[in-house]
Amino acid sequence: MRDLSPRSPITWMLIALVVGYALILFGLPIVTIVGSAFAKGIDPIVKTFNDPEVQHAILMTFALAGIAVVFNAIAGLITAWVLTRHHFPGKRLLDAMVDIPFVFSPVIAGYAMIVLFGRVGWFAPTLFPIVFALPGILLAKIFVSLPFVTRELQPVLESITPEQEHAAYTMGASRWLTFRRVILPEIWTALLYGLVLTFARAVGEFGAVAVVSGSIQGYTETATSFVFRALNDRNPSGAYSVSLVLMLVSLAILVVLNILKHRLVTRKG
Amino acid sequence: MSIRLEHVSKLYGTQSVVRDVSLTVNAGELFVLLGASGSGKSTLLRLIAGLLPADSGTIWLHDQNVTHLPPQQRETGFVFQQYSLFRHMTIAENIAFGLEVRHVGRKEQHKQVQELLDLIGLADLGNRMPAQLSGGQQQRVALARALAYQPRVLLLDEPFGALDVQIRSQLRQNLREIQQRLGVTTILVTHDQEEAFELADRIGILSNGTLLEANTPNELYHAPKTRYTATFLGHANLIPAQRNGTHLYLGDYRLPAPAHTEHLANQAVELLCRPEELELTHTLEEQRGQVVGQGIVTSIAQSGRSVRVGVMLNGQFNETPLNILLPPSRQRELGLQTGQCVWVRVNEYHVLGTQTPL
Amino acid sequence: MTDAVLAALSVPQPTRSLPWGDWGLRAAAATYLLLFVGVPVMVIAIQGVRFGPVEFWNSITRPEAFTALRLSITTAAFAAFINTLMGVLTAYVLVTYRFPGKAIFNTLIDLPFAIPTIVTGVMLVLLYGPQTVIGAFFQKTFGMKFIYDIPGIVLALLFVGYPFVIRTVQPVLLSMEANQTEAAQTIGASDWLTFRRVIFPAIRPAVLTGAMLSFARSLGEFGAVIVVAGNLPLKTQTATVYIYSQVEAGNIQAASSVSLVLLAVAFSLTLIAERWLGGKNHA
Repeated sequence: MRDLSPRSPITWMLIALVVGYALILFGLPIVTIVGSAFAKGIDPIVKTFNDPEVQHAILMTFALAGIAVVFNAIAGLITAWVLTRHHFPGKRLLDAMVDIPFVFSPVIAGYAMIVLFGRVGWFAPTLFPIVFALPGILLAKIFVSLPFVTRELQPVLESITPEQEHAAYTMGASRWLTFRRVILPEIWTALLYGLVLTFARAVGEFGAVAVVSGSIQGYTETATSFVFRALNDRNPSGAYSVSLVLMLVSLAILVVLNILKHRLVTRKG
Repeated sequence: MSIRLEHVSKLYGTQSVVRDVSLTVNAGELFVLLGASGSGKSTLLRLIAGLLPADSGTIWLHDQNVTHLPPQQRETGFVFQQYSLFRHMTIAENIAFGLEVRHVGRKEQHKQVQELLDLIGLADLGNRMPAQLSGGQQQRVALARALAYQPRVLLLDEPFGALDVQIRSQLRQNLREIQQRLGVTTILVTHDQEEAFELADRIGILSNGTLLEANTPNELYHAPKTRYTATFLGHANLIPAQRNGTHLYLGDYRLPAPAHTEHLANQAVELLCRPEELELTHTLEEQRGQVVGQGIVTSIAQSGRSVRVGVMLNGQFNETPLNILLPPSRQRELGLQTGQCVWVRVNEYHVLGTQTPL
Repeated sequence: MTDAVLAALSVPQPTRSLPWGDWGLRAAAATYLLLFVGVPVMVIAIQGVRFGPVEFWNSITRPEAFTALRLSITTAAFAAFINTLMGVLTAYVLVTYRFPGKAIFNTLIDLPFAIPTIVTGVMLVLLYGPQTVIGAFFQKTFGMKFIYDIPGIVLALLFVGYPFVIRTVQPVLLSMEANQTEAAQTIGASDWLTFRRVIFPAIRPAVLTGAMLSFARSLGEFGAVIVVAGNLPLKTQTATVYIYSQVEAGNIQAASSVSLVLLAVAFSLTLIAERWLGGKNHA
């Protein structure tokens, strides 16, 4: 029962219900924010993006998200590899741990960081501050976006039969070469998919950052905390403009995700 | 280049999968490891390749001790049963991979790949992807890929097991020709006795992780050392007897004991008679082979080009069911029917001690 | 052992990974997870209980804390319920039918994964705030306020929890043998009956898993909620917002114990979900 043409009116109603619900839930808000951002013309938007603090916030958000992506990519790849290829006591526990950031409220994560690295924290740092500084924000972004690469890679790695790897080893290929030439070509779509999700999550993070960054303008204020502050400061156009940018980035991410998902599915079929 | 294993063992947890296996494969030989599933034969092959570490013993490839070397450094070619071709590379790239690893130049790679493609009969398919090939073609590519870098030894793990029966036969031929042409020392693992006989210079019988014996197919068939081997390689008629002096005694009848059976003196033994070596007569006087006794015909059936006759042999203390293969002309002469009493005789026979394990 | 027994036993397969070294990789993965996941969990656990059970109990039974927790759980449950209903329906429609714009629609479903939650909050305020057309309408007709009130929270949670059930049910539906539904149809079963008796039993674990995930996600939501509902204790303050305000105020015990409770609820739910579907989640 797949890809049928809708037959009866009831079927059409069902489709209308489903699509309509999504349109109201998503479509309306998107339209509204575009409208609101441009409501007072383009000037407020220009003004917002000329503000050096805003520029810093946006740049810093994307830069730190980028670092988080790289870090989680490498660590996530290793983790996925170890979880699918190795067997050792405690593996199931590690596997379960990967899911925790999904359900660990980011505010709580931020709080944990303060307990650890705050001024009177357990590991209060002496060299450079972590909390209320960029390292703290980076750690928060790493935490919330941690599971994506691992979870996207695991099923693909499982589907690569051991014979391909073993054949490469007997032919003289080192583990690294085997990874590069045999494994990677099979997994890069899933890896990319995970990276994009990681980036999206890292950019959009607010809860942990709200707690941990102190939202010091021009220093530790991220794009998302800027929006929050702008709302409270009765700077709606500022909030809307930056929200618009963030939303456009999200939509672009969505499109990329969809293309990748297509590749993933069609290659399997 | 020869292969030598000395006292190699492998355990999984507490279970012994390979027990104290020692064997030598001569240079240029095609050696077949024959055993049922679970006998440890695939594990043994992977130990030789280095895909599994041995728990004890040593492995020598060309007088080099490779026991502690990873698979990359052992210079073996391995052909898996299936799923081993690199899915995202073309056939040509698959075959060239081993050359690439050894930094062979592009042009030279291309030349060698083309030669190999010709060798396996897939000359124009270099640019295809593995998924576009049939199972038989894929295995030929796997073979070419394993041979491309001229390995010291070629290891094949039930390479034809996943293929249709007709293809298997063709590929066996190809493999034999290629192996003999290149003269590469080869170990092939299989559970298919027919395959073993067709391909092997020598066969090693593996059971329960132990190498029971290794010999030419002919020797193993006609003069096996163990009961397991005897029954594994085709029908074995085993008739109880007693070896005394220089003869074998079966109730009222006796046969000369074969040479080299002195170690079984005064012991209960078993006479091994292959179905095609047994004869049947209606009378005692007809001179065909040595008499072993009398029996009743229990079944007659067509078996390929021969006639398979089941006979229950009357023994001194018990009856032994026999499986006899007669040419159709002989059956026409005898006109056998079930229930008839016949004399059973044998041309060639072998003796197995009953103290032999398994 | 006889040959027959041997043949029946399956030889243990050689491990996928070659055991030639590489404890390094395992150590790296373990360190990564222990540091980034294990440590935060431990910290919260320790912080929550370090002042003793009495203090712990007191801090979560305070009216503000208790109300916040209750609000979080009820709104998340309600949102999860609706998300489950719509999710199953949406997955069914997506898999079964062809319709114009289906591809775009399928893409849009992942929007809550891609969009920053605070932007969600802003969008919702813009759309349903008291000064907007919709907001004013609802206020006048139903006396229902979205922004700075509970319906707004539910709306935000509906948004963030939307994709979960769809994405867990979709693959199961896709992999279902067409034969089953076709057989039901030849027998004469209506679409609804087919769904109820053939399809739904097959997808039920996925539905439950998706519901659990949606619920757990909604429990932890902060960005959208704080924008939409503000920070009015005892009224529209959810547990996460409560924790935030307690951290800002420096009340360690309060922040810790409510965090611990929230975490415990979320963890148990995910554990149950994993047990049911037993597989990897694709967020």
